[in-house]
Amino acid sequence: MRIYSRAQHFAVNAFLLFHIFAITCWCIPIRMPLFELCRSTVRPYLRWSGLFQSWDVFGPEPLAINSHLEAIVVYANGERKTWAFPRMEQLSLTARYFKERYRKFEESLQRDENDALWPDVARRIARENSSPSTPVKTVILIQKWSFIVPRSDGSYVPEPWNRRTLFGYGVRPWDLP
Amino acid sequence: MKLKSGVDAWNAFFFTPQSPVPIAVFRILHGFTVMATLVLLRPEWLTWFSPRGWVSLSTMSQVEPGARLNLFAVIPQTDSSINVLFWFFLASAALLTIGFMTRLNSAIVFICLASIQQRNLYILHGGDTFLRVTGFFLMFAPAGAALSLDRIVCVWRGKQGSQIEPRSPWAQRMIQFELALLYLAAFCWKAEGISWLQGTALYYVYHLDSLRRFPIPAWLFRPTVLKLGSWATLALEFSLGVLIWVREFRYPLLALGLLFHLWLEYSLNIPLFQWDVLSAYVLFIDPADLARVWRRTHRTRWAGKRATATVLTS
Repeated sequence: MRIYSRAQHFAVNAFLLFHIFAITCWCIPIRMPLFELCRSTVRPYLRWSGLFQSWDVFGPEPLAINSHLEAIVVYANGERKTWAFPRMEQLSLTARYFKERYRKFEESLQRDENDALWPDVARRIARENSSPSTPVKTVILIQKWSFIVPRSDGSYVPEPWNRRTLFGYGVRPWDLP
Repeated sequence: MKLKSGVDAWNAFFFTPQSPVPIAVFRILHGFTVMATLVLLRPEWLTWFSPRGWVSLSTMSQVEPGARLNLFAVIPQTDSSINVLFWFFLASAALLTIGFMTRLNSAIVFICLASIQQRNLYILHGGDTFLRVTGFFLMFAPAGAALSLDRIVCVWRGKQGSQIEPRSPWAQRMIQFELALLYLAAFCWKAEGISWLQGTALYYVYHLDSLRRFPIPAWLFRPTVLKLGSWATLALEFSLGVLIWVREFRYPLLALGLLFHLWLEYSLNIPLFQWDVLSAYVLFIDPADLARVWRRTHRTRWAGKRATATVLTS
């Protein structure tokens, strides 16, 4: 039987107490100044160590829209084409396993607070769609969404699609391959 | 309740030695789920993590400033080195699964998990997060003390006897804590939502096109059934977060949790999430019950390999 020395025992207890306290403060959504202070105190450590975590799946409210992203790709010769991220509902079961990351990525991109990602995404779309003879000049990211409206009998009727322009990017020569 | 009795309860919970078989089984399941995650990531590995991927390393550093445990920040930013990291990660996960140099490989797997998630935070689901945070505590656990190549080597070299020594389970308790906290936090978030309290939340969940997997019978969309389903989800998440610690409730709750996750696996397209979470259920099973199941299996299927099985598990 492994016997802990006093110092080891103290160190392990300190480790346990700190982690239980830090992780609980971080995860449980209690909006009190003391908890906010605790969160900001432990944030650097949890971010650095990879122990940050969030368990708010479908909470506090599940998404009430179906949405996806498209891009309008404008070429230097004036031609246009619509490019879209892989849409899970249009993929085979196997493909969905491999492409699921796109669902999450697309969901993240549609949040305005993640606007810092849009230039990278536009550049990548430009690279994917360019060729030396037909370079891409502009990429416009478009969000499309349709509300999910509950009905009293539980049935579902898809609502019309809405759209908004998220971002336009003028492609520079060094963005392309 | 006296302070001393609280301290005694704490020490008994975290430090009373117990069989390392549950944490060893968890190590194997964890290794498999990490490998499955990598296999699913492989076709798009460079798409997500290479310098010319969807999000550049410099953009990630801007949106997530500060020090990070991230191997991508220190290896050369070339496709070949990013590919080498993939194979290194996969090999380490395989070695962790078989329990070879377990401590070292659990550390490598955790650092690699943290790295791919720090490199692109925007493609993660809860299953990835669960692998990462449980991987952290797995580094401190005696995960190679049973069902492992390390154990066979130790017995072969005469460093350990045929009986497995009980070990302090504090790291295993932290993984159990993470699992319970997952459910409790999920309950707390949902309890703030009007649609969960009104019982309409599942209507929205099951009409998200991108999440739908297999067809769901129409009668499940009746308002009464959706209400019951929404409230049952809240009740189950609370119970798995809190009542799981009460011995009398544990197995029935684990059974309900298993059914819950199997249903989610059928109905929702979130690859591996359910298996990542279910892998930690084994830590709530009494080692004596696990041993009983093992002996039963061993008697019927592995009768010819009794000596090896004894060395690995008893």
